[in-house]
Amino acid sequence: MGAQRKISGSEPLFVIRRGRDVPLSGAPEASVAAEPVSGPVAVQPLWVRGMKPRPMVAVGDRIRRGTPLVYDKRDPDFRLCSPVAGWVRSIDFGPRRILQRVVVEPDGADEVEPFAKATAGELERMPGDEILGRLRSSGMLSLIVERPFSRMPRRDSKPKSIFVNAMATAPFQADPLLIASQETDAIATGLAALRRLTAGPVYLCAGSGRDLPQRIAGAGGVTLARFSGPHPSGNSGVHIHHLDPIRPGEHVWTVRLADLALIGKFLLEGAMPGWRLVALGGPGVAEGRACHYRVPWGVALSAWLPARLAAGEMRVVAGDALSGTAVAPDGFLPPWASSVTVLPEDRERHLLAWANPLDGRFSFSQTFVSAWRRGGAWPLGTSLQGAPRAMVATGLYDRYLPMRIRLDFLIRAVLARDWEEAIQLGILELEPEDVALAAFACPSKMDLVGIIREGLAMAEAEGL
Amino acid sequence: MHPLLRSFEKLRPKFEEGGPLRPLWPVYEALETFVFTPATTTSGPPHVRDALDMKRYMITVFYALIPCILFGMYNAGFQYHRAAGMAEAPLWAHLLRGARLVVPIIVTSYAVGGFWEVLFAAVRKHEINEGFLITGILFPLTLPPTIPLWQVAAGITFGVVVAKEIFGGVGFNVLNPALASRAFLYFAYPAQMSGDAVWIAAPAGHGLAEGVSGATALAVAKSAPAGVDIVAHLAEAGHTLRSMTLGLEPGSLGETSAVAVLLGMAVLLVTGVGSWRIIVGGLLGLALTAGSINLLPAGTLQAYPILALPFWYEMVMGGALFGIVFMATDPVSAAATNEGKWIYGFLIGALTVVVRLFNPAYTAGNMLAILFMNAMAPLIDYAVLRAHVANRARYLERGRRA
Repeated sequence: MGAQRKISGSEPLFVIRRGRDVPLSGAPEASVAAEPVSGPVAVQPLWVRGMKPRPMVAVGDRIRRGTPLVYDKRDPDFRLCSPVAGWVRSIDFGPRRILQRVVVEPDGADEVEPFAKATAGELERMPGDEILGRLRSSGMLSLIVERPFSRMPRRDSKPKSIFVNAMATAPFQADPLLIASQETDAIATGLAALRRLTAGPVYLCAGSGRDLPQRIAGAGGVTLARFSGPHPSGNSGVHIHHLDPIRPGEHVWTVRLADLALIGKFLLEGAMPGWRLVALGGPGVAEGRACHYRVPWGVALSAWLPARLAAGEMRVVAGDALSGTAVAPDGFLPPWASSVTVLPEDRERHLLAWANPLDGRFSFSQTFVSAWRRGGAWPLGTSLQGAPRAMVATGLYDRYLPMRIRLDFLIRAVLARDWEEAIQLGILELEPEDVALAAFACPSKMDLVGIIREGLAMAEAEGL
Repeated sequence: MHPLLRSFEKLRPKFEEGGPLRPLWPVYEALETFVFTPATTTSGPPHVRDALDMKRYMITVFYALIPCILFGMYNAGFQYHRAAGMAEAPLWAHLLRGARLVVPIIVTSYAVGGFWEVLFAAVRKHEINEGFLITGILFPLTLPPTIPLWQVAAGITFGVVVAKEIFGGVGFNVLNPALASRAFLYFAYPAQMSGDAVWIAAPAGHGLAEGVSGATALAVAKSAPAGVDIVAHLAEAGHTLRSMTLGLEPGSLGETSAVAVLLGMAVLLVTGVGSWRIIVGGLLGLALTAGSINLLPAGTLQAYPILALPFWYEMVMGGALFGIVFMATDPVSAAATNEGKWIYGFLIGALTVVVRLFNPAYTAGNMLAILFMNAMAPLIDYAVLRAHVANRARYLERGRRA
């Protein structure tokens, strides 16, 4: 639905028509800032869903890059390791004494804890279980997402296929082509490893524009699929739906190219990667600072951002502006974040703006003049642009979701707690990020992302 | 800070929890956000939002109604002067006279309906919903200019309370509230809502001037004796295609002019606020049904001349166009699926013709057709959704690997 399948050469090309790009200003340039970023880093088990974290170190312990800091009580083989060498500054617990994070202060010496190394050629002959064991003992497995329910792959998980996402259509995500050109070896190694982790196909989903390096695009045993069109054509949910949809009872794995680079690097070098490329963008970023940065994994935002933001009250969002998570300015970069989008907090009140036919705010709707002139970039802030209301307009959401899913009715089914209906209508094919664009456009200002997230959590709890 | 905003800030604590005017909070909130967009920021993803909100959505419908409102006033004044034999009065005189007739009706509708809205919002601790902005004006536009104001009050009360609020308010109602209000009056007070005498507000103590008939085109067509040529019969009574298209006709306040409705339709379609599927479906249903009835054997058409009415007459006569453009497109009471909107629109058009032509008692075919389809819309959506689920299941199975 909303997509047309074409075959160009041997690769399938999906032309996605439904959806819209959000023209947010401050797009990160496809370059890497030269200045180094350093500061305290945190290993944050709170971001690993379903983990029961237990600390393995004490405050003051000296550690190396790769020293395990936390293990999972349910699965002691799964450990999270330090991305830097230094000493443990603090171990922070949250409510009900759940371990939130272990903060490590780097001391400049880069001592490395060795892990087993493997080349792409060796990985191709290695049993999948051994690769999984390496990823589990280093915590790298948490970069792979099992769907439905977007959780870390479970122990007995046998994915029917694996989807690598080499696209970035949301505002903003790290540029996959930049990462591919910088980390070609690591990604090729990662792809070789993924092939051993499923009996089914490994799909590499890429845009139709500029090209990935041949070593990645032409990797053996990997199916390249191309998607063109506006956001959310770059979402894994859309790729899965068109290539190999999830039926009840099945599951697939997804990995973003940026994360696959880390996995590949870890396997290839036998050492914990210390940093990752993170895109910094959004209207709240200072002039000329919106680009990619090489930052320590889990770095304290206070060590990185302050000098790079524009003046004023800003919201720091880990991930993109549509589906990311707001983080406190004194917090740490979540381990999964390959981008940070900074938005001005917008509490401005406009006089009678809703009734002004010439009102100049940004909208997809033709009731605003802004919808009539495409192009340009808008410094959107965090204003809700109205107040929540009952669901009135119909058929609007489906314009922003290129799948065979009727979002209006799915949302109603979830609100009515009708799980059977919600599953028939396709909730298991969705992740909250897939409905973020529809939520952006919703005139009733509904929390579609929250509704889908809660619906998935309930469905998971019900064991569906 | 805007000085007006400062005065709002000063007043606000009186209406907040613990303030003396707490029960009136919805009124304050509505007024404040009416004047200034709220300062609320997003609490989670998506962190940015589109500028379209419900207020913008509803005001666009209101803007689309302005041609109908203005023309309705002008026509009411024109008909008044015509009845008094002063049809040559200048435009502004018609408009002014019309305003004196129409404004009290609109004000009554907004005031009484608004009272109920506020009452329910206060009791439920809800915000006041913008949908009433539209209900409050749609309803008067469907009334004859002679309607007693107490009936306007009774009608809008029925529409707001019985058709909407007892179902849970905007978004939960089954029937279009404005149309439910009209149907209530139509059946409760037929003397003031139908017949030939109510469509022209004549000066008090004055009969209609010589040669002026108060009958609507639809009534004239309905009473056409066997054997006449329906178009000539209508023209004889003063109802030509031109007069009905322009709208200088006796009839409900906002419905007579096809031109005014088409202007509104253009606004709804260009802004995307009105569903083009419903409108196109409705017009198609009307045209195809009327067109196929025209194909009945000549003998039947002779016996019942109204059956020979061309579909373009059907379209400009009575409230059909107004109903399809403004009433049927109310998203809450319409079908919600895209395919459902086609079916829903088409059947409204078709039923309008059927009721008009084959029902001896009621001329208000469009009103009844829309209300009936309002009630059927969930069924249509149910059927479309089951087909969608089956289609999804087929799609998922198609790719299953052995």
